[in-house]
Amino acid sequence: MADRNIIEIRNLTKIYDLGAIQVPALNGLNFEIEEGSYTAIMGPSGSGKSTLLNILGCLDRPTAGAYILGNDDVAHMSDKELSGVRGARIGFIFQSYNLIQQLNVIENIHVPLFYQGKDISDYYDHCEKLAQKVGLGDRLDHRPMELSGGQQQRVAVARSLVNEPLMLLADEPTGNLDSTTEQEILDILDELHAEGRTLVVVTHDDAVAERASRVIHLKDGQVDKDIRKQDSDRKSENQFQEA
Amino acid sequence: MPGFSILRLIQVGFRSLRLHKLRSALTMLGMIIGVWAVILLVAIGEGASREAQEAIKALGAQNVIIRSIKPISDKVQLQGEMQWESIYGLKNSDAVRIEKTVPGVKRVLPILRHRKNVTHEQRDKDCQLIGTFPHYPQFTQSRLVAGQFLNEMEEARKENACVLTMSLAGFLFPGKNPLGQEVIVRGRESHQIFRVKGILEERADSEKLPQQADATGHTILANVYIPLSTFKALYGIKDIDLSVGSISVNTVELSEIRVEFGSVDEVVPALPLIREALDKVRKDKIDYEIQVPINELNALKAQKARDTWLLMLIACISLLVGGIGIMNIMLATVTERTQEIGVRRALGATQIDISVQFLVETLILCLIGGTIGVLGGCGNAAFFHYILDHTTIVTEWSVVVAFGLAVGVGLTFGLYPAWSAARLDPIEALRHS
Ligand SMILES: Nc1ncnc2c1ncn2[C@@H]1O[C@H](COP(=O)(O)OP(=O)(O)OP(=O)(O)O)[C@@H](O)[C@H]1O
Ligand SMILES: [Mg+2]
Repeated sequence: MADRNIIEIRNLTKIYDLGAIQVPALNGLNFEIEEGSYTAIMGPSGSGKSTLLNILGCLDRPTAGAYILGNDDVAHMSDKELSGVRGARIGFIFQSYNLIQQLNVIENIHVPLFYQGKDISDYYDHCEKLAQKVGLGDRLDHRPMELSGGQQQRVAVARSLVNEPLMLLADEPTGNLDSTTEQEILDILDELHAEGRTLVVVTHDDAVAERASRVIHLKDGQVDKDIRKQDSDRKSENQFQEA
Repeated sequence: MPGFSILRLIQVGFRSLRLHKLRSALTMLGMIIGVWAVILLVAIGEGASREAQEAIKALGAQNVIIRSIKPISDKVQLQGEMQWESIYGLKNSDAVRIEKTVPGVKRVLPILRHRKNVTHEQRDKDCQLIGTFPHYPQFTQSRLVAGQFLNEMEEARKENACVLTMSLAGFLFPGKNPLGQEVIVRGRESHQIFRVKGILEERADSEKLPQQADATGHTILANVYIPLSTFKALYGIKDIDLSVGSISVNTVELSEIRVEFGSVDEVVPALPLIREALDKVRKDKIDYEIQVPINELNALKAQKARDTWLLMLIACISLLVGGIGIMNIMLATVTERTQEIGVRRALGATQIDISVQFLVETLILCLIGGTIGVLGGCGNAAFFHYILDHTTIVTEWSVVVAFGLAVGVGLTFGLYPAWSAARLDPIEALRHS
């Protein structure tokens, strides 16, 4: 089956306008990301990884260039439209988990549904399954404060999946975790990849990059290296049905 | 927005507020006190005004009350240094002239009053002895509890018949039926025996003596009504006052003249005519005063309208202060929860979603604060009314206005924090910690 592109970016440019000076963060990036791929974005500090991820996640707009997500040009959408795209098509996993403190595990998983105007009572089972999938089926009514960092990140993973997004975006998802917990989270990501989900992960960590099927190295806001690994063929072993 | 979302918003709002219980409670305090105070103050004001209105109404809105007053330095010295006499006040002829010359007058009622000691068996009491005409009860809207009031025949024959106020009857005749019994009215020259023929429940406060509590702690309204003709025949019109050490004699023909008009509208236009009728026979000493219940009632109502505006102003100020407190806390909350805002934005919340969330939280604060304030104010007013025996009337409009203002203030002051939350840049907000 021909790879379908979920993301196409053309000449993507981001310049931070600080008034007195202009800081170029991304200088004309071009690449595609295929459905079901697992891409790691690496590069030295300040190379533009987070900037790129923010744009990919529709949290920010590029200064110039095109960004096609799915079939839509999202580079010039309004704030409201971007909010809709974020909620419906993108699952975020953050370095610092970013759970909402006053909500318990299951309620945190509910949050993205709410902003899509979905009736949460229709999704109880769905959310519970997700919690079970990340191994927290018995912690549904726990508050984030009562969970370890690894557990919190699992909740975040479940939350990122609740709206069946086109892709998952993670910025240093294991940056705050010890190596054992890191492995657990990475295992979950592997599992998601195996299920056919599309992952884009920003990382400094070679251990993360090793698991990815493709590594894009950024340098000074440009693609330095773009390495597709051979074992990315394992994707074809796990052919998935199109939704 | 669908209903379930609103419920959800409210639920989540409660959660966020519960996270800082003390802070939320303190934030609400301004609103609670504001609403509470408005309702309580309005209830107290309303109660006081209603009581005063009742008292004035009891005097009769169609009536004008003319009282004799002693002019300043109008004493005639009698036999030696220690005796003084003042001759002043209203006369029978004044009453007749008013009835004849002032248009609209339905009838007049003369009243003559002296202070006397009244006894029955071992019990005695300082009373007001009141000489008046048989139509006194209709004039004063007093209710006859038992027996009859004085009649024309007794007036014509100057009989020794009397009617007592209810509390006095109760005092002089404990556990007995006073009707047909006798009381002794003690005078300087002679003691007179009067037969009790009726008991009156006094409504108007005009006849009240300065109230003194009796041995049991009750204040009693001690009036003894007798025919005016009897009064004049037995006691004359000289009222002798020994209380200041010297003897002073007040010679007053009538203590009071009440004038009843056919309708309320005729009262005010007739006032100059009443004055004219009285002043015609007076030189330039002023020995009477005119009380016009309808004017007092109107003045009271005008006063009340002013008071109400003042209360509203105070209410607005206190709620404004409460609102500023809420805005302050909500701004702090927005800053504190910047990261949460960023997360919600990343998870698909629009700017409107975020502002609605914070508005809902502000509104919850105001609604709870307002509700507690309403309950507190009403409860407090009820406490005053039923426990402290201080008339209060909780008015519906005060509840509606206080509550409405609380919510309005909440919405107004919640807008800015909500807007400042919505306008945060998602990336900046996410990075905030
Ligand atoms: N809000 C901003 N305003 C101005 N300049 C910015 C802003 N955000 C990022 N930059 C600049 O853009 C460039 C890229 O930053 P970015 O955060 O994308 O780097 P990064 O690759 O994620 O680095 P790190 O590995 O340290 O997270 C840097 O030079 C940075 O200073
Ligand atoms: Mg970064």
